[in-house]
Amino acid sequence: MEKRQKRRVWLVMAALLFVVAALLMFLGQGEEKGPAALEVDFPRRMRAPDRERAERRRTQVLPTVAPTDSGTAAEPSRPRDPLLAALPRGPGKTAVIIEANALRHSPIGGLLLDCLMRDGGKQLEEFRQKSGVDPLQDLDRLVVTDEGMMLSGNFENARFKDLLGERVSANYGEGARVYEAGESSVTNPDGTTVKRRDTSAIATWNNQLLVVGKSPDEVKAAIDRVEGRGPDEPPAISESSTYGEMYGVLSVEMIARLFPPEQAALAQRLRDVAQNVELHLDASSDVALVAEVKGPSADDVTDLGKSLGAALSLARIKAQAGEDKDLAQLLDFAKVKPDGDSFTLEMAVPLAVIQERLAFCREERRAAEGGRAPETGTQAGVEQAPAPAR
Amino acid sequence: MTVTDSTPAIEVTNLSKTYRRAFRKTGTVALRGMDLSVPQGSAFGLIGPNGAGKTTFIKSILGIVQPTEGAVRVLGGSPEDARIRARIGYLPERLHLPHAWTPTAFLATVGRLKGLAPDPAGNLRLLERVGLSDAVGRKIGGYSKGMRQRLGLAAALIGKPDLLVLDEPTDGIDPMGRMEVRRILQEEVQRGTTLFLNSHLLAETERVCDRVAILADGRVLREGRLDELVRGASRWLARFAPGVSVEALTQAGFVQGRADGVYHVDAGDPAVLNVALDRARAAGALLVELRRDGMDLESVLLGTVGAGASRVEVAA
Amino acid sequence: MRPVLGIAGYVLREAASRKFILAFMVGITLVLAVVAVSLRLEVIDGALAASRLFGKELRGNIQSIDVALRPVYQAAAFIVFYGGILFGIVACSDFAPGLMSPGRIEHLLALPIQRWHLLAGTFLGVMTLALGGTLYGTTGLVLIFGVKAGYWTVGPLVAGLMACVGFAAVYAVMLTTATLVRSAALCAASGFAFMVGGIIAGHRQDISTFFEEGLSRSAFLAVTLVLPRLSALAEAAGDIASSTPLEVRSLGTLLLGVFVFGLGALAVGFWRFEGKDY
Repeated sequence: MEKRQKRRVWLVMAALLFVVAALLMFLGQGEEKGPAALEVDFPRRMRAPDRERAERRRTQVLPTVAPTDSGTAAEPSRPRDPLLAALPRGPGKTAVIIEANALRHSPIGGLLLDCLMRDGGKQLEEFRQKSGVDPLQDLDRLVVTDEGMMLSGNFENARFKDLLGERVSANYGEGARVYEAGESSVTNPDGTTVKRRDTSAIATWNNQLLVVGKSPDEVKAAIDRVEGRGPDEPPAISESSTYGEMYGVLSVEMIARLFPPEQAALAQRLRDVAQNVELHLDASSDVALVAEVKGPSADDVTDLGKSLGAALSLARIKAQAGEDKDLAQLLDFAKVKPDGDSFTLEMAVPLAVIQERLAFCREERRAAEGGRAPETGTQAGVEQAPAPAR
Repeated sequence: MTVTDSTPAIEVTNLSKTYRRAFRKTGTVALRGMDLSVPQGSAFGLIGPNGAGKTTFIKSILGIVQPTEGAVRVLGGSPEDARIRARIGYLPERLHLPHAWTPTAFLATVGRLKGLAPDPAGNLRLLERVGLSDAVGRKIGGYSKGMRQRLGLAAALIGKPDLLVLDEPTDGIDPMGRMEVRRILQEEVQRGTTLFLNSHLLAETERVCDRVAILADGRVLREGRLDELVRGASRWLARFAPGVSVEALTQAGFVQGRADGVYHVDAGDPAVLNVALDRARAAGALLVELRRDGMDLESVLLGTVGAGASRVEVAA
Repeated sequence: MRPVLGIAGYVLREAASRKFILAFMVGITLVLAVVAVSLRLEVIDGALAASRLFGKELRGNIQSIDVALRPVYQAAAFIVFYGGILFGIVACSDFAPGLMSPGRIEHLLALPIQRWHLLAGTFLGVMTLALGGTLYGTTGLVLIFGVKAGYWTVGPLVAGLMACVGFAAVYAVMLTTATLVRSAALCAASGFAFMVGGIIAGHRQDISTFFEEGLSRSAFLAVTLVLPRLSALAEAAGDIASSTPLEVRSLGTLLLGVFVFGLGALAVGFWRFEGKDY
C-alpha cells in the first residue's frame, strides 16, 4: 500500500514536466511567425504584368503599304512599340532600357529619389520649370545605346525651343522634328569668348519620343526606324525581352570594361568567348539581376560560366572572412546556370541592404527640406506613389 | 531487524489478491487470506489444482504482484526491497529467453543485473553443472525446451541465492535430466538454501521436498512435513495368503485392495485391529504381512482438495 | 544507474540481433557507399562547377558549394528527422512489449532492480540505438561531401541530434503505451499519432485559423500547447543542416521543451509500471 502512495510522486512529476514542457515549447518556438527567409524574385521571363505593359505600348500603326502589281492587298501591319522600333538593329549593338516610371515607383526608386533630391529637390524643380517636363511624372522609359540616348513618355508640355536654345530645327519624316546644334559661344573663366560647333542632334517624335544622338544622321536614322524606313533586321531588344525594371543587350566589350582590374584575365576571356550579354534587372522588391551570356562555342561558354561562378564564390568567401555580412548575403544568391552555348548569371541585392546603404540620402534630404513643408510633387510623390505602370 | 535462523524464509499473513479489471466492479479472486510460513533451509513444495493461486502466490513473494491485502515477508524483509530480491533465485514457469543470445551472454547479463561482478568462469561452471557444457557456444534459439529450463535454472543459481523459487523447474526435461536437476536442488538444500518449489509433478515434490503445502481456491488447506502428511494414522494394510474368502474378510471389516490378497482396514487402536484380525483368521485367512497404510502425495492432495471442496459446499 | 545501463545493454544486445535493424544499418552503409563511389563533384575556388552521378552530368547551377549543398543537407535533415522517427517507431515498437512479455517480465522484475530502472533502461537503450544510427548516417554524409567538396559542416550532425530529441519524445509515449497495453501495434500507433500531433503542434497557429473562433479554436490551441512541436524542430533542423537562419525564437528552449515532454510521458509510464501486476 505504501508503494502505491509512493508511485503517485511519478504522476505529480509528470504533470509538472508537462507544464514545464508546454512553457518551454511556447517560449522556444514563439507564437509569432519568425521572419520569412529572404527570397529574391529573379526576372527570368515575361510575366503577366510585363505582357500587359508591352501590349499597352503597341500604340504605333504603320500606314498600310499600297497594293502590289499582282493586285493582292497587303495585310495591315500590327501595332508596335515605337521605342522598340527606334532601337539600333543588328548584332553587337548595345541598348539598355530603363523603365524610369516603374523604377521610380519601386522601393528602390524611392531610395534613389532620395539621393536625387538630397538638395531638397531644388535642381529638379528648376529643370521642371525650365523644360516643362516633370521627369517624375512624364518620363516613361530611358534608353542608352551606343549612339546616344532615347527617352519615351508624354512630352506634350515640353518647351523644346526654350530648352534647346540656339539649335536649328526642322521637321523630319511624318511626325518628327530634328534639332541640330549650330555654333555656340562659350565664355571662358578669363572672360574671353570662344565659338564652338556641337555636332550632337536631338529629335522629337510625336511628343512621345526624344532621341539624343551624336549626329543629325544618327537621330534621323532612329526616326526612320520608327517610321518604318529602317533596315529589316530585328531591333536590339525584342518585345519578348521587355521584362524587369532595366533590361537590354550590352556588347561584350562594355561588360568587360566593368570588371575590376584584378579580374582582367576573366574580362579578357569574356571578350574571347561571348558574343553578347542580355541583361534584366528587377527592382519590384529586392534588386535582382539576370544576365544571359551567349557565345558560339558551348564548351568555351561553359568554362567561362565555371570561371565566373568560381570568382563569385571566391568573392563570397572573402566577404565572409572579412565579416562583410551584407556582401556575403548578396552573393548567397549569386549563381551561374549553364545551358549549352549560353549561361545565365543571377545576382541579387536584398532591398534591406540597399536601404541600409542609401539611408544617408533620406537623412540628408530631410535635413535639406528642414522646416519647409514638403512639396506635393516631390515628397508626396515618393510616399504616395501610385502603382507602377508595368 | 536481525534475521536469525528461526526467522522464516517466507512468511505470509492473511494474503489476499484480487485481480481487478477495468470497467468491471468485481475482480478475479486468486488468493483469499492465505497464511504460510516456510522455514529457512527447508525444501518446501507448493501443490494444488490448476487455478489454486500457486503462481499468484509466487509472484506475490517476489513483488511481481502486489497483494490486495495481507503481509509478505521474505528472508526477513519486503520483496519490494531490491536487496532482498538480490538474495533470491527465481525460475519462472514459462521462462522466455532471448533467442539470439549465447548462454554465457545471458548469464553475464543476469549477473550484471543482480549487481554481481563479472564471472565468466563461474558462469561456465554453472552451465556445466546444469548439463549445458556441450552447448555453451550455441545460441539459445537452437536449444530444446529442456535445455532452456536448465539454462533458466542456471540463471536462478547465479550469485548463490539464499532462497530458490522454482516454478515447474523440470518442465520439458527428460527423466535423466530430471534426476540431474533433482540432484542439483538437493545439493542446494544441503548448502543451506531454502527451496520453494511449485511443480505439477507430485512425485518430484515428494522426492525433493521435506515440507509441503496444499493450496486450493486461494487458501492453504494443509501444510506440514511431508512424512506427516502422507502417513495414514488409523489405516492398516494386511496381506493374506491365497485362497482367502473375500466375503469373510469383508465381514471382518477389511476392504479389498488393488493387488491380490491385499486388504485395508481402519483401526484406531490395537484392540480394534486385533479383533478384525481374529475374525479373519477365524474365517481361515492366513496373515502374511501387516503394516501401516501410508498414502502417496497424490492421494493426500486428492483427499485434501476433495474434503476442502465438500467443506466449501457445506458452508455454502 | 548501473541497473539502467544494464537494461540499456540488454535492449541494445536484443536490437543487435534484429535482422531488420542490421539490414537498415547495412542499407545506410550501402547508400553512403554508392554516393561515395558514384558521385563526382568538380569544385573550383569553392564553387560547385559540375556534378556527375554514375558518370552522367547533373544539370545544376554553378554556385558556392555550401549554397549548392544546402538543399541536399536540408533534404537529408528532413529525411533523417521524419524518416528516422518513422523507422524508429516501426523498428522499436516491440522492444518494450517484448520485454514485458510473460516469462520475461517476471524474470526481470524478480531481479534486484527498481521497476523504473527497467523503463529508463529500455528508453536509454533505444535512444542509444537511435543516436548511433543517426550519427552513423549523418557523419557518413558529412564525410562524403566534406572529402569530395572540401566543405565541412557539423550542421547535419546537429540536425540528426535534434531528430533524436524529437524521437525521444515520441518513444517515451510509445513506452508509456506499452505499460498500459502490451501491444507492439498499439505502441507504434501511439507513436505515429504523436508524430502527426507533433507536426500539427508545430503549425498550430496556422492551423488554428481553420477552427471557428471560440471554444473549438481554444480547445485546439490548448491541446497542441502540450504536444511536442516536432515540425518546428524539423524545420529548425533543416535550417541548421543547411546553415540558414533559424525561424524559431530559441532553439535551445524548444529542444528542451520537447525533451521535457518526453520525460513527462516517461514519468506517466513509471507511474503506471510501478503499480502494474504481471
